[in-house]
Amino acid sequence: MPTELVMPHEAVERFFGRLIDEGPVMGPRERVSQPGFIHFDWLSDAADLRLNYQTTTIPPKKAFFPPREVLFEFELTDPLKITAVREAESFTLVGVHPCDLAALRMLDDAYAREPAEACWPANRARARVIGVDCMPDEYCFCTSTDSCYSRAACDLFLTPIERGYLVEVLTPAGEDMLRVSDVSEATDEDREQAEAFRREKAGAMTARLDATPEELAEILESEEHTELWKEIASRCYSCGSCNTTCPTCFCFDINDEFDLGLTGGRRMRSWDSCQLAEFALVAGGHNFRRLRWQRVRHRWYRKFVYLYRTFGRPYCTGCGRCSRACTADINIVDVTNEIINRARERDRQGVQG
Amino acid sequence: MDKRMVRFGNKPQIAFFDFACCEGCQLSVLQLEEHLLDMLNHVDVVTWREAMSEQSNDYDIAFCEGSITREEDVERIRAIREQASILVTLGSCASGGCHNDLKNQWPMAEMLDLVYGDMAEHFDTIPSRPITAVVDVDYRTYGCPVSLPEFVTVVKRILTGQRYEPPNQPVCVECKLNDHLCVYEKGLVCLGPVTRCGCGAICTQFGDPCRGCRGLMDAANLEAAVKALTREQAHSIVRRVVERYRFTEEEIEAKLRIYNNWPELKLEESVANDD
Ligand code: SF4
Ligand code: SF4
Ligand code: SF4
Ligand code: SF4
Ligand code: SF4
Repeated sequence: MPTELVMPHEAVERFFGRLIDEGPVMGPRERVSQPGFIHFDWLSDAADLRLNYQTTTIPPKKAFFPPREVLFEFELTDPLKITAVREAESFTLVGVHPCDLAALRMLDDAYAREPAEACWPANRARARVIGVDCMPDEYCFCTSTDSCYSRAACDLFLTPIERGYLVEVLTPAGEDMLRVSDVSEATDEDREQAEAFRREKAGAMTARLDATPEELAEILESEEHTELWKEIASRCYSCGSCNTTCPTCFCFDINDEFDLGLTGGRRMRSWDSCQLAEFALVAGGHNFRRLRWQRVRHRWYRKFVYLYRTFGRPYCTGCGRCSRACTADINIVDVTNEIINRARERDRQGVQG
Repeated sequence: MDKRMVRFGNKPQIAFFDFACCEGCQLSVLQLEEHLLDMLNHVDVVTWREAMSEQSNDYDIAFCEGSITREEDVERIRAIREQASILVTLGSCASGGCHNDLKNQWPMAEMLDLVYGDMAEHFDTIPSRPITAVVDVDYRTYGCPVSLPEFVTVVKRILTGQRYEPPNQPVCVECKLNDHLCVYEKGLVCLGPVTRCGCGAICTQFGDPCRGCRGLMDAANLEAAVKALTREQAHSIVRRVVERYRFTEEEIEAKLRIYNNWPELKLEESVANDD
């Protein structure tokens, strides 16, 4: 059992204010130019922090793996001069929902696999993480993906209660953050309120998958489901938003860019997406997934079969971002349940016939 | 070889030319200001009507904006092609299609009457088309007006002897990487999901929808656009748009035509599915 403390309402802003004074803090806040649009960004004032927010469009993985970044700068001298661009400063990422905490751990595992990626663990090592519990909207389905109560990858976890937040202290770094804060021991009443919050959260989840991850993997492995993929593909733009918003997607693209002076430039890395037509295009012109339905299918197999079999859990947190972002109204829960139910229907007919 | 990898021995001579258009692309390029000064270290501008009074017919690189709408335009662009070792089209009018091509929906004689009335007989007109439809082009840039980041990239590619393939991804990719609100959430119709990116999703950054000025990307799924925008019981981000506009297929077609009417856009024919 982790230590549980209580941070009363009046101490919250002071606590985050102090973190901001100590070093960079990224958390959910309103974009100044777009009132109401909450996204993860750097905070300069604790009053801007929105701990009670609906899931952001872009996941907090951007703190460790930015959508676009410079890997190194080069100068065309003789010999070529290369300067790595590495951030070294420690920072704190705050306000992360359980599904996104689960995703951070998934990316830890995925990037650690040989050939290991170097930037992600280096960036993770320089950050402390504070999670916060949340209420689902119509797209959330984290109870189906085992992420609803995740405390992965975080140092402190906050659950709303009447007096403020119940704070789970999960690591020594978490303990350290609280050292001069006004926190007190949690009472049984506080714990019961946090438990009630979690019960309410699970009860409020309207979207759910009709199969366990293992059943789903077996259904996907058992047959091709080509007809369904083609139906979905006829509606899919191949716009990639389901990947660029996904907390567990980890593919990237690399490009070199010259300065206009033409004496040097930089190597850039940016997020990539398997739904884009040219994602699987390789030198020589061969495209492994030329057809749209092959790409649509790939997203489901990747999340629910290949990575599930490799890492023992689906690479989907149930955050619902892909469904929220899809301007073609392709909903991951609806499509997955359609596969499940068609497969079960066929089984039933098979048994009868 | 020069360490800067400039492919031309001396500074290349560059020229700007305009065809039927608003000349907004040239104006935009002039707005590059300090970038322009960097660029001028590597080239000599010999013809640029919007920026200088001298003119020369001796140039290596021609930047051409605008559409071809008259027989004499055809001859003129062919002559430019003959002279230039590198021909670059500036903006959508020249590279893929733009507003000018909307006139192709009606008979040319009718268009002449409408615009010139009694004087119509003194003018000729042919269906409007991009420069790329008339001569071979070495580099293409899109946008109305031309996307400046793309223009700068193309200049760098030319000077370093590299090819440039315009991106073949939708605006949504850049929009999402910018981490901005999707304008569908505001009930606005955005053509980002079918439009070629490369502008940095500049319109959605300012809360406006993408109107598709860079033209359709290859393999844009127009069937998906019709299905999404007319979807019964949409329950996602498109719901507000569907309920607010109740689009017909003709209206969607008209929206898509604005930057995509060369060759003439016919939705029925374009939606023959998979890639
Ligand atoms: S999926 Fe679960 S953890 Fe994630 S935001 Fe929704 S309710 Fe919270
Ligand atoms: S977001 Fe929707 S339309 Fe875009 S690629 Fe994903 S499923 Fe297709
Ligand atoms: S697949 Fe969709 S629901 Fe699952 S983690 Fe990715 S964005 Fe979230
Ligand atoms: S605002 Fe437009 S470009 Fe941006 S994600 Fe939405 S549909 Fe795509
Ligand atoms: S967002 Fe769309 S309309 Fe705006 S510049 Fe880009 S392509 Fe053109």
